Amino acid sequence: MTTLSQAVRPGTAPDQPADAAEAPVRGLWRQGLVVFCENRLALVGLGLFVLLAGICFLGPLFYHTDQVHTDLTAVHLAPGEQGNPLGTDGVGYDQLGRLMLGGQTSIIVGLAAGILATALGTLWGAVAGFVGGWADSAMMRVVDAMMSIPSLFLFMLLAAIVTPSVSMLILIIGAFAWLGPARLVRGEALTLRSREYVQAMRAMGGTGGRAVRRHIVPNAIGTVIVNATFQVADAILYVAYLSFLGLGVPPPAANWGGMLSDGLADTYSGHWWLLYPPGIAIILIVLAFNFIGDGLRDAFEVRLRRR
Amino acid sequence: MRSRFPGRALRGAVAVASAVALGAGLVACGGGSGSSKAGGSQGKDAVTVAFRTPNWILPISAPGFTQGENAIFGQALYRSLYQYKLDGTAQYNIDPQRSMAEPPVVSDGGRTLTITLKDNTWSDGKPVTTKDIQFWYDLVTANKDKWASYRAGGLPDNIAQWSVKDDKTFSITTKEVYNTAWFVDNQLNKITPMPEHVWDKDSATAAVSNLASTPEGAKKVFDFLTAASKDPKTYDSNELWKVNSGPWKLAKYVPNGEVTLAAQPNYSGVDKPKLAKVVLRPFTGDDAEFNVLRAGDIDYGYVPAANLSQEGYLKSKGYTVSPWYGWSVTYLQLNFNNPKTGVLFKQPYLRQSMQMLIDQPTISKVIWSGTAAPTCGPVPAKPGTNGTDAAGCVYSFDPAKAKELLESHGWQVTPDGQTTCQTPGTGPNQCGDGIAAGTALNLTVTSQTGFAATTKMFAEIKSQMAKLGIQLTIKEVPDSVAVTPACKPTEATCSWDMSFFGSQGSWYYPAFASGERLFATDAPVNLGSYSNPEADKLIEATQFSGDESALKAYNDFLAKDLPVLWMPNPVFQVSAYRAGLQGVEPQDPMNFMYFQDWSWK
Repeated sequence: MTTLSQAVRPGTAPDQPADAAEAPVRGLWRQGLVVFCENRLALVGLGLFVLLAGICFLGPLFYHTDQVHTDLTAVHLAPGEQGNPLGTDGVGYDQLGRLMLGGQTSIIVGLAAGILATALGTLWGAVAGFVGGWADSAMMRVVDAMMSIPSLFLFMLLAAIVTPSVSMLILIIGAFAWLGPARLVRGEALTLRSREYVQAMRAMGGTGGRAVRRHIVPNAIGTVIVNATFQVADAILYVAYLSFLGLGVPPPAANWGGMLSDGLADTYSGHWWLLYPPGIAIILIVLAFNFIGDGLRDAFEVRLRRR
Repeated sequence: MRSRFPGRALRGAVAVASAVALGAGLVACGGGSGSSKAGGSQGKDAVTVAFRTPNWILPISAPGFTQGENAIFGQALYRSLYQYKLDGTAQYNIDPQRSMAEPPVVSDGGRTLTITLKDNTWSDGKPVTTKDIQFWYDLVTANKDKWASYRAGGLPDNIAQWSVKDDKTFSITTKEVYNTAWFVDNQLNKITPMPEHVWDKDSATAAVSNLASTPEGAKKVFDFLTAASKDPKTYDSNELWKVNSGPWKLAKYVPNGEVTLAAQPNYSGVDKPKLAKVVLRPFTGDDAEFNVLRAGDIDYGYVPAANLSQEGYLKSKGYTVSPWYGWSVTYLQLNFNNPKTGVLFKQPYLRQSMQMLIDQPTISKVIWSGTAAPTCGPVPAKPGTNGTDAAGCVYSFDPAKAKELLESHGWQVTPDGQTTCQTPGTGPNQCGDGIAAGTALNLTVTSQTGFAATTKMFAEIKSQMAKLGIQLTIKEVPDSVAVTPACKPTEATCSWDMSFFGSQGSWYYPAFASGERLFATDAPVNLGSYSNPEADKLIEATQFSGDESALKAYNDFLAKDLPVLWMPNPVFQVSAYRAGLQGVEPQDPMNFMYFQDWSWK
């Protein structure tokens, strides 16, 4: 059973005395962290993410390659040849350096689009659920209508219309991936709006905006954060899909999906180093976010906590 | 609470894993050898060919139905008046064996061409006569707006008099004196005799009459025939299509599926079919086709560009792998009418600099795996050969010279940065008319999706140009022609800079490779609005002058003037056919397939 102190999240209840709220709040975070750390897969996922992000963002500082200029005299070199640990691709780019560069795009787009989608969805869902009535119906019909269109189709259409770039991919994916979070948060908001503390705040003259901002969203934060991790994983896959279909960022930019697509085109050539590394990298990062999400779900789900 | 997304993300990861695993399996298989089951039709009297299902049968093409498979299918059933070969051995490139008429006799100072039909018969035994030619002429004259090959000023507009002398002879008098080679190759190539004694009616139940002899009647007949041609499911049952002049007859037709051609026993031409049956099998895509080819289940197919490295494997399976060179050129279109960047393209030195940064020989060899060759000018290289000799290009790959050219015209070259105009003005050492100080060389290339080699080629070109501070943005779209139309500077659609649509060749010529449709000021396919009075004059000369050097003069001028940037010209396709299949070579540069020449060893 959820107590009042458990239901309220850190810094979200100014109506409570600050010193009274701080103690249990710190305990909640610590408890969540303990639960998260007890989930070994979640730790593996976190470790994987840190490792991959480290390789992609810090790796180029130590391993310098030219990822701007092509070199047609050094195409399809096998791993180890001419100082290329993972070989080179079809235009002479060092494959390991490209993997780092591609990873940066995939992770940046994945994180940014995931966060954008979560923020949009959370706001939309919280407002719809809290306001209710015809506004809720209208807002959720918009969500239903957009959900009825296959998202990959929409992404492809938009990517074909605009010039793909990192920021554009973030906008495109974020603009359509918010529908899931909107539904989830709207469900939470419907429950939360009838809680006593929300009603008490309204009775004291609190506005709807304040209720959404200070009570509804903070109390749904567990769902939101857990969902955000999966949104990131989804966004990384969407980037891969789009690039696989030739609608990713144009060269010399790279991303793992585009690299995988190029690798598959070389499938019969025996150039395995163009296929395995980006494919495995995508699998690892998506799994990492799924594991992290599972761990966060355990940490935020009160019923799963050790009391 | 768990959202629907984790499952989807995991499924996605599983999908990626599957792709990698599948790739791993294929990588493991790639390059391997071993015996396969002998599929296809080897050793029999039939051949199975990878071929898209044709969807048009009437010898008068309609807009939207001009795909190559329709032309090949049409030729198999209804021979054109003239067939061409580009080996330089025949007068006006006319193939004397396959053509249904003798070469035209020219009189009246070049204005009148008299044509005599050979002794040919329809499959029902009736002779092919000038009535069948007149029938074709009546239909296209009355319905030219519905004819895909019609161009204002071309056939039949350019004919002053069409007269039939007897059953075997007719003459054409033109309004102007044309270069006979041009007129024969690019105008008479459209004529196909049609069985007037079967088709001259306006309904299936009507009796054959002389209906098409009047414009109103010709419209009715044309509508009737067109409607029948738009109904593919009846192709193999409709009585209309059972009377043919070609070496084949239609035995079976499945809409969007397999088509079977059977040898026409009453064929009157000299190139009689050597096989009894040709099965045309469509595939949903390149991968599907290549998998079946690898499995040995078809006798003739093609190797997708992405799988060219499998040549050795296919050879080990008993296939001959052979590039099919087209009578084509490939280029990067420049938009001279772009209100912002058009002024840049109008500067010859800038075009020359950019051309010198395209390493055509290396791109052809490395990125296209040797299946492309440099384009140096508007006239394709000798038919059947591997493109123009790169050594003969006016502007070879020379980054140093390109840099020098830019700097000598007032540009501050910033390698890997942004090259800008430092000295505006129209003087010889200045940037040129309309180019303001500080103007940067930022250009967008609209290219095609779906071609790995094209993507790599533009990565290379972008890299080379960036070295001189020319920044290209490559935008790939499914249909680059559709989004880069010919335009006026004031139009919203005129914002494109450069367009590429040559992943399988930009332009395929008829027998006479003149440029009236491409590079003349008012040419219909002059998408970049290039305009040069000297070029117009030379193009006109190719059409109207009998001087054989006119084509060379035109080629030499445009090779130097760069109405477009010349790009590596890919082969039409890389064919793979069973080693025992004879007669496939030479593959026709004008993209026809003559199944009647094919036979098994």
